[in-house]
This record gives sequence, structure tokens and C-alpha cells, in this order.
Amino acid sequence: MTVIENVFICITAPLLFSLLCMKRRERRMMVFLLSGMSMCLLSSYISSYLAMVQGADVVHASMEISPLVEEIMKFLPMIFFLMVFEPKKEDIPVNVMMIAVGFATFENICYLMRNGSGHLVNLAIRGFATGAMHVMCGYMVAMGLVHLWDRDWIRVAGTLSLMAVAISYHGIYNILVTQTGPAAVIGYCLPLATAGIAWAARKRFNRKYPRRTAAF
Amino acid sequence: MIEIIDYGLQMALITFCINASVLYMMRMGNRQKAWILLILTGTDYLLGDLYWTLFLIFYGETAPFSYIPYLSWYTCYIFLFLLVAEVRSERRERKFRPLLLIVPAFTGGMCIFFLQWGDVIGNTFTVVLRTLPMWQALDGLLAIRDGQEKKEKRFFFLAVMAFCLAEYGTDTASCFWMGDTIRNPYFWIDMVLAATFVVFPRALRKAVEQ
Repeated sequence: MTVIENVFICITAPLLFSLLCMKRRERRMMVFLLSGMSMCLLSSYISSYLAMVQGADVVHASMEISPLVEEIMKFLPMIFFLMVFEPKKEDIPVNVMMIAVGFATFENICYLMRNGSGHLVNLAIRGFATGAMHVMCGYMVAMGLVHLWDRDWIRVAGTLSLMAVAISYHGIYNILVTQTGPAAVIGYCLPLATAGIAWAARKRFNRKYPRRTAAF
Repeated sequence: MIEIIDYGLQMALITFCINASVLYMMRMGNRQKAWILLILTGTDYLLGDLYWTLFLIFYGETAPFSYIPYLSWYTCYIFLFLLVAEVRSERRERKFRPLLLIVPAFTGGMCIFFLQWGDVIGNTFTVVLRTLPMWQALDGLLAIRDGQEKKEKRFFFLAVMAFCLAEYGTDTASCFWMGDTIRNPYFWIDMVLAATFVVFPRALRKAVEQ
């Protein structure tokens, strides 16, 4: 067993115990957070395997294979939740968000394990940017699920397409942050800027349609 | 270098399309879903272009495992199809028109032609995704001819057809690649494709205006 699995167990064990003390809604959110972390671990296995099969080096794998695998894996718990529990529309976005948060948290831990924790500023920038990027990708897909697609076949096609948007966005972020200098700065600013735009759009939407904002 | 300029221009025109769509959506207030679908179509295509261009700029080559940009470009057709379906959602009567079979005949024929260069899965995926919006758009045009659809939608359906045909044009030109030169028809057809994005907001506005 390599180090990261040990870290995963150390982090998830207290969270798993906390499930016993929680009520229904809180418990469900914690389960999604945990599933986000688990999906992060699983996607690192799958990405490594696919990179090996394709003969890709670490840099190319992080830019071309990881975004694809990570976005798909991140959505799997949500698909399970949607298909098995048939939740209310209002519950979907926050749960998608929790998966994204769990995923981003564990990805940041992996980054810390690999690169050390010496540079606080770099880590803070990376932490915020990666967190914002994963949350934005989840938010994009959740928005479509809640507001855009009204029939089942449209929901499937539309969600797949929105996932493609999220994958490309993730891929662009990964390309930019792999570089140095201004490109990396732009990369780190990209999710924060997108989150700012989404926040402003949401505020405007809430003001215009106060009745339709229960889900957000 | 010319490829980067081509993609740069294309991205600028698509960004114009997205911004115009956002402005129209905010100004018009009705049929928001259609506008959101157009914004998503543009964004999806733009992200595919941006990914491809960034790879060219930073590594001087196209992405070796180019799943991500192709996924973006392919799924753009799903958004386009959903957009055409949304624009056509008011129609009362649905009937099959034999003339529509031109679309699968054309896309199927092109698929067989492209199989000489590309893989089976990618080509099959493309043929299905391109047939859907072309079918809907041609059906819309025929419905206008029969008086079952508003005349104002003609411009939009023509823009969708032009976009899909321009995509086929770029694919065909890339099969006979003439190098990174301005004489390469690929770049000219690619500009036509980008120009259709400029037309889309205006055409959609006309189609959904009450």
C-alpha cells in the first residue's frame, strides 16, 4: 500500500464516524463529501492505468487523460443518487457541490504529499484555484440538470454535453497551470474569474426571478 | 503559425457570438432556454478551439491524445440539435418528409469517405451527431415551404445547415492537407465556419422574436 491510501484512510475514518451522529440531510452531504474524496483516489488509479496503456508521460496524462477521467468519476456518485433516490431538484446542486469539494480537498492533499507544504502562498493560490475549478465544473452540470433539461432523453444528452464542457474547461486549466510565468497565473485566475461571473449571474437571476431560485 | 492565427480569429468570432447571445438574452427576456443553448454551443466549440490552440502554442504540436477537443467539438452538435429542437418546439404537426433522407444519405456517404483516414468509432459518432441538427434544420426549412413553420425561422435553419456543411468542408479539406499555407482551403472554409457563428445570434433573434 502506498502513502496516499494511508492518508485517505486517516482522513475518511473520522468523517465516517461522524456519519453516525448526523441527521438525514447532513449525513447525505457528508456521504457526498466522502464519495468525492473516494472518486479522487479512484480516478488517480484509472488515470495512471490509462496513461500507462497509452504510453503518456505524467505531463501529458495530467493535461489529456486526467480531466476526462476526473470529471466522469466525479459525476458517478451523482448519477447513482439521481437514479436510485430520485431527489428533489433543490437537493441536486448542493450535493454535486459537496462531491466537487471532497474531490478538490483530496486532490489538494495529494498535491501537498507530492510537492511539500513549504510555500504557503503557492499552496493557497493552488488550493483556491483547484477548489473553484472543481466546484465550477460541478456547478455547470448541476445547473443543466436542474434548470435546462425537462425531458429524460434531453437530460441524458444535455448532461453528457455539459460534462464535455466541464472536461474541456478542466483540461484548459490543467494545461495553463502546468506552465510557468503568466500562463500559470492566467490558469490560476481562470476558475476564480469564472466563479465570480457565475456568482454575479446568479445574483442577477435571483433578483429577476425570485420564485425560481429555490435550487440555488 | 497560420493555424494559430486561424484558431485565434475563430475564437474571437465565437466569443462575439457568445457575448451577443448573452446581450440578446438579457434584452429580450423570452425563450431564454434557446439563448442558453446557443451560448453553450459556442462555449463548447470555443473551449475545444482554446484547448487545441494552447497545446499548439506551448508544445508546438497538436495534442497527441486529442480526446478533449474532439469531445468538445462533437458534443457541440448535441447542443445545436437541442437548440434547433427548442426553436421548433412550437410546431403543431410532425410528418415525415421523404426529402429528408438526403441528410442521412449525405452524412453516411461522407462517413464512408472519411473512413479511409479516420477510425470507425469516431466517424460513426460524428455521423450520428451531425445528422441530427441537419435533419431538424432541413425539416424546418421544408416545414416553412409547406406553411407549417414561421418564415422568420428560415435564416436560422439556413445558418445551422451552413455550419454543418462548413464542418464537412473543413474535414474534407483536412483529408487533403496542403500544409500551413494561406492557399490551403482548410483555413478558408474554417473562416466560413467561424462566420456562421457570427450569424447565429441574429438568426436566432429573428427566429424567436414574438
